[in-house]
Order: sequence, then C-alpha cells, then structure tokens
Amino acid sequence: MIPEQTFFPDPALDRAFGVVMALAQEMWVLRDRVAGMEAQLAEHGVLDVKKLNEEPAGDERAAEREAFVAHLMQDLLGQQQAKGTR
Amino acid sequence: MSIDGRAFAAGQAFLLSAKGYWTRTLYPAVRAEHESGANLGQSVLYQYYCWLERHLQRFKYSGRYGLQPYHAQDRARLEKSLEAAPAEMKEGFEYPEYYTRVDIHQHPGGVWSDPIAGFVYERGARSTTPLAGKRHRDLHERLTAAALERCPSARRVLDMGCGFGKSTRPFYEALPEAQIDAIDLSAPCLRLAARDARQAGARGVRFRQMDCSRTDYPEESFDLVTSTMLLHELPPAIVEKTLAEAHRLLRPGARMVHLDFLPGPEPFDQLIHFGHARRNNEPFMEPLARMDLPALLERLGFRKTAIHPFEEADGTLDAGYRYWRFPWALISAERW
Repeated sequence: MIPEQTFFPDPALDRAFGVVMALAQEMWVLRDRVAGMEAQLAEHGVLDVKKLNEEPAGDERAAEREAFVAHLMQDLLGQQQAKGTR
Repeated sequence: MSIDGRAFAAGQAFLLSAKGYWTRTLYPAVRAEHESGANLGQSVLYQYYCWLERHLQRFKYSGRYGLQPYHAQDRARLEKSLEAAPAEMKEGFEYPEYYTRVDIHQHPGGVWSDPIAGFVYERGARSTTPLAGKRHRDLHERLTAAALERCPSARRVLDMGCGFGKSTRPFYEALPEAQIDAIDLSAPCLRLAARDARQAGARGVRFRQMDCSRTDYPEESFDLVTSTMLLHELPPAIVEKTLAEAHRLLRPGARMVHLDFLPGPEPFDQLIHFGHARRNNEPFMEPLARMDLPALLERLGFRKTAIHPFEEADGTLDAGYRYWRFPWALISAERW
C-alpha cells in the first residue's frame, strides 16, 4: 500500500475530513432512503406525511436526544472514562 | 456488504453534487484568492480544494458506494454480457509498463486489468465534468463535428485510444458508410465498445487491440486519424511515436485531429492543471503540456498545424466563464 496524498499541514486533518465526508455521504443515502419510504408509505395510505411534518406539540424524545448529545460531546472533555495511566 | 441500486445512486449523486459545488463555488473562490494576491501555499481554502479533488474521486471509485464495489457485485452478469463482443484481441498482447504502473483516474486496477473495468470506466465517465452534458451536445459529438468539418469526405477513419467507444460512437453514427477502425490497449474497454456498437447496429466499425504508437495498418490507410483524451495518457516518447504513426497512416493531404488538455501560460492555470494531474493519477498530463507540439509536428512532416482552445460546452470559452473546467485543446495538422 502507498501512503495517501496529504493536503493539510497536519495529516490528521486529511484523515479526519475523510471521515466527515464519509458520514455526510451516509447521511444523504439515509435521507434519500427515508424520503423514498415516506413516499411509498403515503402512496399506500399508511403514512400521513402532513401530520409527520407538523411541529410536535410535546417533546417526546427529549431524554433520548439529551443522551445522544452527551455521547456525541463527551470526547471534548478529554477525560478517561476508566481509570488508567496518563 | 452489498450496495443496493438506490443507495448507489444516492451515494454517487451526493458525490456529484459535492463536485458541482467544488466546480462552481470552491474553484472560483480559490481563483479570487489568487487574484487578490494571496499565496495559495498558505490558503486553507486551497487545501480543501485539493483534498476534495483527490478524495471525491476516491469515494467515486473505491468508497462505500463506489463504482468498483457496485459493479463487482454484478460481475457474473456483466462479464457474460461481453462474451460475444466482436472485438479483435491480439494474442499474447502485453501492456506497456507505463500503462500498468499507475491506476489512472484512481480507478482501482486501472482501465485494463479487470474484465469489468470497461463498465466501471463508462459509468464513471458520465460524471467526469459535472456541468457538461446537461444543456449541451456531448463533447464527443462536438469533436466529431469539428473533425468532419476539417475532413468532410473522410471514408476511412482511425480512432486512437477509443476506450469503451464513447469517442467512436459519434463517428460511426455520423458516417454510416465509412470504415471506422478504433484501437485501444484495454481489452475490457474494447469488448464493451464492440458490444455497444453491435447493439447500436453499427456495421462499418471495428474495435481492435493495438498500441497506437505501432499499428499494423499499411501506410496511407486513413483519411482521418483522431483521438480523444489519449495523448495525455502517454509518456512524451510515446506521444512522439504516436504522432509519427499518425503521419505514416494518413494519406497525403489528410488530417489528424486530437482532443486533449493543454493549459495556457498563466501560472495559476498551470498550478490547477498540474495539481489536478497529480491528484487524479495522471503522470503524463504535465509532460504533454510541456512538449513543443508545433515544433514536433513540423519535424514529423505535418503542415497547417493548429492548436486551439476547444469549447466543450456552450459558453465555456467566454471571458466571463469562472467555473472549473479542463483546458480542452484541439490539435490538428495535415500530412504533407
């Protein structure tokens, strides 16, 4: 294997941006799939797209979202989660 | 993990949209930075520009929704569809070292080593230039029109480096009574080209495996020799041999017409083009641009040499055009 070309002063950024773009592509593939599913479900009368698009009255998934955000952000603290050496 | 058709299409469409943004927004921004006097060597924008040019292409071919893994999972059917393709292969043919050393376009295995490489290349070529082909005639049709304008009575045509036949098709469609010979090194591409020509009902076209720098045709066999995006894939010594071979094959007074990439003298244009070459695995793009083609053609016995920028789509040569594009150039000359 030949090392990949690099373009940033820190090659860590070259690799990290690759991860960002891979995730962005996965997100678009998922969005496309969800939109396709919604269209088919609506066509068969299973899904009320208008209702789905309305602003929700309550915040049913608040706890779930808080946990998601905490998990996403916790690496920023730079703290060991299990006691080890420095 | 398999890739379904919808996910493949969405994954590739994402990349094409990103490439479109790169073409229409990032490239003009890089150019504006350069024109404002900034040193691109210190530019964060230019770093992202370069990264995206390199890696959007890698994603396109080898990524999770890449052309190679997507076609590989359909390998059996694709290979079977080529079985009866009437391409003429040369027994014991050996690919030149320069051709196999690098996987051009970041196409894994190159355009020659895998039996399905032609399909991968063909699909990839549909999205090489994000802006072309939407509102315009395809650039290959434009090249054909330009060539036939210069050689209206061509009856024997040689298409050098025909690949999977995209450049050959407009010739056999425009000249149904002519004899068109199309040659290339790549067996998988030739098979796809021959299969598609047969399906299109073309009768006067042959696809043959041959090195364009040393063909087996007799002297003065052709009224027109053409190539599209071939010369920049050849080392300078092979470019010279290929042009000499074109001279040998043309009847006196006949023309050759090549479409390729030659950047202008502006340092920025050269930085962009030579950088593209490195990032897209094109080792001979810069050497071609640095050759003195007019002098070479004169030495080989050509006259009326003309090297002009080529308008691959409407408006791309207009002074106000700001988007990224290849520096397309039409190279034509007449045999003494």
